Amino acid sequence: MKKTPALSFRARLFAAFLLASLVPLLICSAMLLQIFRLRMTDAAETEAQAHLNSALHVLDEACGGFVRAADALRGDPLVLSALSGGGGEDTRVYARLFEATASARDCARFDLYDARGNWRYSTRNAPAVRTLPVDWGPLHHAREASGLVFTACEDPTDGGSPLLQGAAALSAADGTPAGYVVVSLYQSDFHQLLEGAYGAQGALILLSGYWRPVYCAQPSLAVSLAPRLRSRLLSGQRLEEASDGFLYSVERHEGTGLYLVLRRPQVFTRDTMGLLYTVSAFCALICVAVSVLMGLSLSRQMFRPIAQLRSAIGEVEQGSLDVQVAQHRDDELGELARRFNDMVAALKRNQAQLVENQRELNQAQIRMLQAQLNPHFLCNTLDTMKWISKINKVPQVALMSTNLADILRFCISPEEFVPLGREGEILERYIEIQRLRLSGSFNFTLSLPEELADCLVPKMILQPLVENAILHGVDGVEDGAVRVEVSQTRDGLLRVAVSDNGKGFPPEMLGRFREISRPGGHLGLYNVDTILLKYYGEGCGLTLENGEGGAGAAVTAVLPVRREEEAEC
Amino acid sequence: MRRTVLSALLSCALLLGLAGCAAQTPSPAPDCAPAEGDRLVVYTSHKEEVWRPIVKEFEERTGIWVDVVYGPTSELLKRVAQEEKSPQADVMFGGGAESLTAYRHCFTPYACAGADRILARFRAPDGLWTPFSALPVVLIYNTKLVAPGEVTRWADLLDPRLKGRIAFSDPAASGSSYTALATMLSALGGERDETIRRFAENLGGVQLDSSGEVLTAVANGDAWVGITLEESALKRIAEEKNIAMVYPEDGVSCVPDGTAIVKGAPHEENARLFLDFTVSPEVQSLLTSRFCRRSVLDGAVLLDGVPRLDQLPLVSYDLDRAAADREAILMTWAFYFGGAGS
Repeated sequence: MKKTPALSFRARLFAAFLLASLVPLLICSAMLLQIFRLRMTDAAETEAQAHLNSALHVLDEACGGFVRAADALRGDPLVLSALSGGGGEDTRVYARLFEATASARDCARFDLYDARGNWRYSTRNAPAVRTLPVDWGPLHHAREASGLVFTACEDPTDGGSPLLQGAAALSAADGTPAGYVVVSLYQSDFHQLLEGAYGAQGALILLSGYWRPVYCAQPSLAVSLAPRLRSRLLSGQRLEEASDGFLYSVERHEGTGLYLVLRRPQVFTRDTMGLLYTVSAFCALICVAVSVLMGLSLSRQMFRPIAQLRSAIGEVEQGSLDVQVAQHRDDELGELARRFNDMVAALKRNQAQLVENQRELNQAQIRMLQAQLNPHFLCNTLDTMKWISKINKVPQVALMSTNLADILRFCISPEEFVPLGREGEILERYIEIQRLRLSGSFNFTLSLPEELADCLVPKMILQPLVENAILHGVDGVEDGAVRVEVSQTRDGLLRVAVSDNGKGFPPEMLGRFREISRPGGHLGLYNVDTILLKYYGEGCGLTLENGEGGAGAAVTAVLPVRREEEAEC
Repeated sequence: MRRTVLSALLSCALLLGLAGCAAQTPSPAPDCAPAEGDRLVVYTSHKEEVWRPIVKEFEERTGIWVDVVYGPTSELLKRVAQEEKSPQADVMFGGGAESLTAYRHCFTPYACAGADRILARFRAPDGLWTPFSALPVVLIYNTKLVAPGEVTRWADLLDPRLKGRIAFSDPAASGSSYTALATMLSALGGERDETIRRFAENLGGVQLDSSGEVLTAVANGDAWVGITLEESALKRIAEEKNIAMVYPEDGVSCVPDGTAIVKGAPHEENARLFLDFTVSPEVQSLLTSRFCRRSVLDGAVLLDGVPRLDQLPLVSYDLDRAAADREAILMTWAFYFGGAGS
């Protein structure tokens, strides 16, 4: 569960990289391969066709020469009469023969046979077999047809016999058969004719009209390839075999009835394609590897700061505020770390403040508890003192101890907040005691508006202020006066000002009490200020001022107006 | 995750497309292939030098494309029989008359054009096959190892003196070899199984895989005598001088090989033309002049020095019986030959 988000994020990053790199690569490879293949195939095909056409052209020219020679001989009376046994000198016949075949005899052999198929004249050496059957093969076909008829050999591997023979019957003027002119092309003749006509890469095969081999530049193909081509043709299949990596082009030569088959190696053999595929696959593999690496590294870059942040947050949750996240980066993640560090620091400051506040409250409470030490015993003692003084007719002691007991009782009462009116009553008691002590040498006025008498204030906050005024402002002053004035400010706050007409505060003490005093100085003022602060927070507390012209001091306490119902809730 | 799958699919599709494009190769099947009506399928057991000129000339004269399948007679006949339901072949060209007769159910009778020119003794009584050439069985011997007059008869082959020195090919594989065995049985008469046993033992466990090897074995002296067909012997004698041929005095058979039209042939019309062509005077004269064979035509020219049929001591050779007994004789042969050989 813990790892899953990271993994899925990595997987998504990886997939995105893969998609962004692999898909264009594959599309590009596919298109390039395809275009490349089409271009190459097209070029090869055009080239093959050109080669075939040039071979056809060569054959056409040769064939045309043969036909012209045969026609010349057919119309030659001297030759006709020599063949039909009518006599004539051999040299003259030869002269005619060589004249007629002048243009064509370089690439073929010309023979003249008489009507029974016996050899008579030749442009080359006399043949090994001096008779040709007239009812079989070339002579038979020549007799059946009118012009020069070409007949393929029986065995193309037999180099000694002609591969292709053309024969034309010669007839005397009266229509009686006189003999035959036979054109024979041998392996070497074809070689000479076709050499260079069809390109070095291809193999040209000449097939008869029935697709039996006549001539192959490589004689072994006549045995191995030609029968295969024929059987593929007869079974209606393509000439190409998937396995052998060759392509074939076929053209028919009209003059001889031969088929020219040009075999050329496939431009894109299985091996070539395999190589190209391998390269593509290799590129794809690199893409995948790079994608994985990029995905991993980027996700690690993302993941490491986040993991650090997470563990730091965990530590903060556990309460440790000393944790800091290392920040070496300037990007968003660096900023995140920086802010986290700031946040932890602020948290730590707040907590220290909180601890400090708590400590101060505790000290105040301890002091209060110490002040309340055994108060009941004191009250009872004071009552006893009151009765003893009444019995002994010392009314001042009786009055004093009665007031002191009332104050004491008020102090140890359990309420924390009391109405301002009650606070005023206790203040009167305290003033009475102080009048006895100071022989009534000061004037005290309390100005408390009726509508504010029920405001709740912390218990015993007026007494320390008045005591401070009596001790520091009135003591030793002729006709001293202490004035307590309660009012409501325009902000709705309760304002209690205690002023005297004494010598005033030294100037360095003026202002907000908290900022200038230290615990232990004016303990009474400090306690009041602390109580106000703790109960009502910032904005409440004491302010020290001097009267106009530096005469008299004034301590002002500001606190919110609360009444019975609000305090309870 | 879906994207990963998507990309995988996409790449697969691309690769497949790539492969698909590459698999296409241009250049369609050429349109010079012949129409169905201009075709003929010939099964032949003749040697290529025999069938090639004939087939070629037939093609050029008729314009019919011939597809030739060649192999041993027995294999081709089995194949014809297997293909009985949907025949692929039109013509069975070659094979002894008794072999063709044995597969009578695979062929359809045909009376060829010019049948009246064929010698009566070579005609099939029911016209099931058309004879092609007459093939007398002869004995040959190595003139350096056997004196003239030493081997003249079938009976001489049973002589223990020649044990292990007789070149004879497996009669189950070679049709001519079976014909020779049947001729020998017919010429020697007597108990058939006993004759087979004695001959098989005299071979000494050696029989050759094909009839062509007989001539080689005798010519190079591996065997002293051999049994083969007249045409093979004549052709070899023309090349090599140390082989001589005798017609067995105690009986010569002259069984023709033949040509037959397969029953239900896809191109039956063309098959008939082919049969007519095989007995035409042109082909028959070619037989003699080029292949040293005897023509089956009446009054045909013979090679120099070859005796006429009526000068030979012909044995009565019943084709139907030879065909019918084929299995039994071959079984017996295999039994004794295997026994002698082991």
